[in-house]
Amino acid sequence: MSRIDLSGLRKYTIVFVLLALVCFFSLTSPYFLTARNITNIITQNTYFVIVAIGLSFVMIGGGIDLSVGYQMSLVGVVTAMLMVVYHWPVWLAVASGLVLGTLLGTINGLIVTRIRIFPLIATLATAVIFQGISYMISQSKTYRNYPDEFLFLTNGKVLGMPFDVFLTLVIIIVASFVYYQTVFGLRIMALGGNEEASRLSGINTKRLRVSLYALCAFVVAIGTMIMISKANTTHSSFGPGTEFIALTAAIVGGVSFVGGEGNVPSLVAGVFVLAVLGNGMQLAGWGTYPQYIVRGLILLGAVAFDEYQKAPRRPKHRAA
Amino acid sequence: MSMTEYVVEMKGIHKRFGGIHALRGVDLELRRGEIMGIVGDNGAGKSTLMKILSGAYLADEGEIYVDGKRAQIQNPQDAFNLGIGMIYQDLALFNNLDVARNIFVGRECRRGPFGLLVDKKSMYRQTEDLIRELRVDIKSPRFNVARMSGGQRQMVACARAIAFESKILIMDEPTAALGVTEAGKLLSLIKNLRDRGLAILLITQRIPDILAIADRVFVLKGGQRQGVLNVSEVTLDDVVTLIVRGKDRNGMQAPSVEYQSFG
Repeated sequence: MSRIDLSGLRKYTIVFVLLALVCFFSLTSPYFLTARNITNIITQNTYFVIVAIGLSFVMIGGGIDLSVGYQMSLVGVVTAMLMVVYHWPVWLAVASGLVLGTLLGTINGLIVTRIRIFPLIATLATAVIFQGISYMISQSKTYRNYPDEFLFLTNGKVLGMPFDVFLTLVIIIVASFVYYQTVFGLRIMALGGNEEASRLSGINTKRLRVSLYALCAFVVAIGTMIMISKANTTHSSFGPGTEFIALTAAIVGGVSFVGGEGNVPSLVAGVFVLAVLGNGMQLAGWGTYPQYIVRGLILLGAVAFDEYQKAPRRPKHRAA
Repeated sequence: MSMTEYVVEMKGIHKRFGGIHALRGVDLELRRGEIMGIVGDNGAGKSTLMKILSGAYLADEGEIYVDGKRAQIQNPQDAFNLGIGMIYQDLALFNNLDVARNIFVGRECRRGPFGLLVDKKSMYRQTEDLIRELRVDIKSPRFNVARMSGGQRQMVACARAIAFESKILIMDEPTAALGVTEAGKLLSLIKNLRDRGLAILLITQRIPDILAIADRVFVLKGGQRQGVLNVSEVTLDDVVTLIVRGKDRNGMQAPSVEYQSFG
């Protein structure tokens, strides 16, 4: 029985790692554990949390989407141009951006399931395509001066907290609910755990996979709105790079690279582990560049830990 | 519903994989409430034939009748709807899920608006009932199957296949990975299921298992039916001879070869 209890705790290891990091950096800098700094860390990372949650749908389902950062570039530019250049109403521009994002995800899903290209390669290819389209549309111009209604996304307050923090909390709650309570969530876990068994169970695995890419892209598009609103400007170079942070956070947060495993609280903790590391190292005066090294090491460590966790199970199968 | 003698009839089934003609016009008739062993050498087409019945593969030619009615089995869901359950050789389990979820994935107990939510309570309760009914050695429906023994995993796959009032159960090499005790338990479970009215198709290399529990044995060789024998009327050597030599050109059985070691 102790084995099972341990595994229950293991699922949330990263939450404890986050707490340990917070304690550590509180000791290295007096400025770290201040209300202002913590608020900063949270508000600067809302869209990373949202993108990581979006990506988790694809990853837990056993896929990968390397194009999310480039989807953000394209969706961001199009939404900004609709508002700033074509003066569309904010709601319509945002709705169009969300529809565009969903469409990009659907395309990814169709390529992966219908043409049967390995997801890593398929989304690497579409990433480049999305970026090309983004630059062609934007002519590499910068778009700024959004309408006030759009800036409400990050400047507005709901229940005493910034609107984007509120929105992020809503997305965290909804995603957790989807994973733990719905038939859809159970089938995502099943698909990631064993695709062939899912098919033999009567699940339409192709349709499910396409819907996961579409859902991921929809959530990523929401994150894009927050990103460009926060920056109050947009350029085609905004977005790329986010996929690496989201991917690292997801893996650090216990989302298995081969699918079938992961939980939302750990995923969120994964994002904040990276954020706290960056912020803490900066406040401690260790500079920006070592952060990259630490981030890379953490990714390696997380994958190694994932492998280590699974290792003891294997001999048990054979013993039977 | 017409009550023919046979619960399943497969007629003239052909299946090709590229240049390989895996099944060449196979006929199979399964009676109600019988256990039929499906035997043959490696590559004889046993699993392919059964996967066609379970909807995992599509036949290139041929017809399938269930309860005397022509059945269109295009996918596993169609087979499920006709009451056909299959336990695959690799068991097709989800190592990341617990027992109850393994049993119910794809056929979830639902609740809430539009049935969007999983009714976990009812899922766990039904799994507990099933475990008790089958008298299998699984302590809790909340156990993760990755941590279970081969025998327990086989039981979960079994429970999964019969949880939804299947009429026909197909098992692919169920005892292959099991120890003597666990295999014995499984065989008595299979008999128990037959006594409850299920018709069972049992693919195996262990001929003695078939002689112990099956009513009839169906022999395949090179993708062709060699014959169907009544278990009560044959010996181990008869079955092995048919597997190895097949029927001769006149449709007669070839002279017997000695049974050496199987399984």
